[in-house]
Amino acid sequence: MTAAKSSSKRTIGYLIRRLLLIDLFKGLMVTFKYNARALYEKRDGGNPNQAIYTEQYPLEPARVSERFRGAPRLNLDPENGTTLCIACDLCALACPVDCIEVGSIRREVREGEKVNKKKVLTTFIYDTSRCMFCNLCVEACPTDCLELTQSFELAVYHRAGFRWDREMLEKGINYVKYKK
Amino acid sequence: MQLLLTTLLLVAPDWVVSLTRERRPNLFWAEYIVWPLIQIVIVIFIVLTLVAYLTYLERKVSAFIQARLGPMRVGPWGLLQPLADGIKLLLKEDIVPIKADRAVFLIAPVISVVAALVVLSVIPWGAGWATIANVNIGLLFVLAVSSVGVLGLVLAGWSSNSKYSLLGALRSSAQMVSYEIGMGLSIIGALMFARTLSMSGIIDAQQTDTLWGLGYFLYQPLGVLVYLTSALGETNRAPFDLPEAESELVAGYHTEYSGFRWALFFMAEYASMIVTAAVAVTVFFGGWYFPGLGLVKNPTLYVFLSVVIYALKIAALLYAYMWFRWTWPRYRYDQLMELGWKWMIPAGLANIVLTGVWYVLALPKAQGGVFGLMHEEKGRLIPTKFSGIAYFVVTGLFVTIPIVWGLLANINRRSRDFNLHEQRQLQMQLRRERLEKMLQQPASSQATEGVQ
Repeated sequence: MTAAKSSSKRTIGYLIRRLLLIDLFKGLMVTFKYNARALYEKRDGGNPNQAIYTEQYPLEPARVSERFRGAPRLNLDPENGTTLCIACDLCALACPVDCIEVGSIRREVREGEKVNKKKVLTTFIYDTSRCMFCNLCVEACPTDCLELTQSFELAVYHRAGFRWDREMLEKGINYVKYKK
Repeated sequence: MQLLLTTLLLVAPDWVVSLTRERRPNLFWAEYIVWPLIQIVIVIFIVLTLVAYLTYLERKVSAFIQARLGPMRVGPWGLLQPLADGIKLLLKEDIVPIKADRAVFLIAPVISVVAALVVLSVIPWGAGWATIANVNIGLLFVLAVSSVGVLGLVLAGWSSNSKYSLLGALRSSAQMVSYEIGMGLSIIGALMFARTLSMSGIIDAQQTDTLWGLGYFLYQPLGVLVYLTSALGETNRAPFDLPEAESELVAGYHTEYSGFRWALFFMAEYASMIVTAAVAVTVFFGGWYFPGLGLVKNPTLYVFLSVVIYALKIAALLYAYMWFRWTWPRYRYDQLMELGWKWMIPAGLANIVLTGVWYVLALPKAQGGVFGLMHEEKGRLIPTKFSGIAYFVVTGLFVTIPIVWGLLANINRRSRDFNLHEQRQLQMQLRRERLEKMLQQPASSQATEGVQ
């Protein structure tokens, strides 16, 4: 009966803990702290250090991690608002699932005094239903034009909606804004 | 117009009549029928609203404790959620199982809810006219009627003709009956001091007996502990919520109920929570009195403040109920019964005996006491200021509790050996021997054993 002896070995501290129900009150204090903090703390949904972790998603912007890759975007030149894309087709080549189609024509472009014959972007089709957000196209882009943003609301009502054209890629989608 | 005025004067409380400078037509039916009816309507309305909002509070408290937000979408901060739930329950289909005992099935939730609501009539919601009925057996009435609620559960479980309901009813009725005994025993110590069963009488007694009218919890710490624990068991609240342990069972006695009949059971549960909290406040925490209330001289203000104080005290206890529920894990059924029968009931009995001993020892020497720490005042025996009060506090806290704890711990340790402890130890020893034997044997022989 060695086990019986070791399990019935009780120190004074153990006895006091049992008598005053210290463990029960410790638990109560933990929950009470959470409850009190929930009342006075400013809410910041999704912050693990807050007493309330809930983020009210359609009302509040949802938190995603910094490295999250979502909806694609074609960046514009901030100076003159023209596209940064040089229609080099590298992104389409890099894409493992062939979801990018770059359409371009060669035409004469006036740059300052010279007139150069250049490839110019006409259409850009990005199929988000096939994209696996691997970021290879972004890494391939020499002008930092194509970018995967943090937006994740890609659901649409129709399959055709997954084919993002150049306008959608440049301007983004108009999302429904919910009132709080 | 004149008639209406007369009727209003009949039922108006004194302070309204004093404003109008009219003589009150003193009629029997105004005093005993109309004014009580108005009070009843007010109390029922407030309590039922409170019951609805207790569900909201429960959800909010649980949410805050679990780092959630709780109901937020119906109304600001989800404040209209109870209303939406009520409407939903009203509109739901009222299903009666084909094989159920129809009449009993229909009446069981009503019995349950009536038993919980009738008790509200004798609860002293405040001083003076705020009390509906000052019955001289108030506390007995509360205990008697609230135990009728068990009948509703048993009938519900039986008439549903379903094994889940029957087992649920069995569990909950066994639990409620056993915890009722502890609850009844735990308040007797306080009644010894008060020497009355009237709820208002107990509150008045506490104002004279205890320090600043704080309440009998000073003299009866063990009584408070036993009462609050038993009240949790009696109202089927966690950590004793075995009748409807939602993570373990289908549901309890109300498995077959739907719609508003289910809501009636729910209402009964929350109303009985309010009742047990109200009784605890009345008997142990000074009722509607709080130190400093005596300074208020305006009688109307006095009554209103007393109602507010009573409500706040009940609210604090109800919050504690919710706090406990969302902190502590549920007991196992045998642990629940052990706590009820081996700890709560003997502790209640021992509390009665020890309180009696301390009380008799402190009686005035003329009446056969030893210490003479009490004196007669306004026809009542009250502890002498400070010496008597200190005596009862010290005996209650530092003598009664250690004695009862040591006694019960010793007895229950032996009875645990008597039941399971030794068997479990034997089992463990046999298993250890078996394991050691297996380890000593070479691996090859084990393999052949496995093949055979």
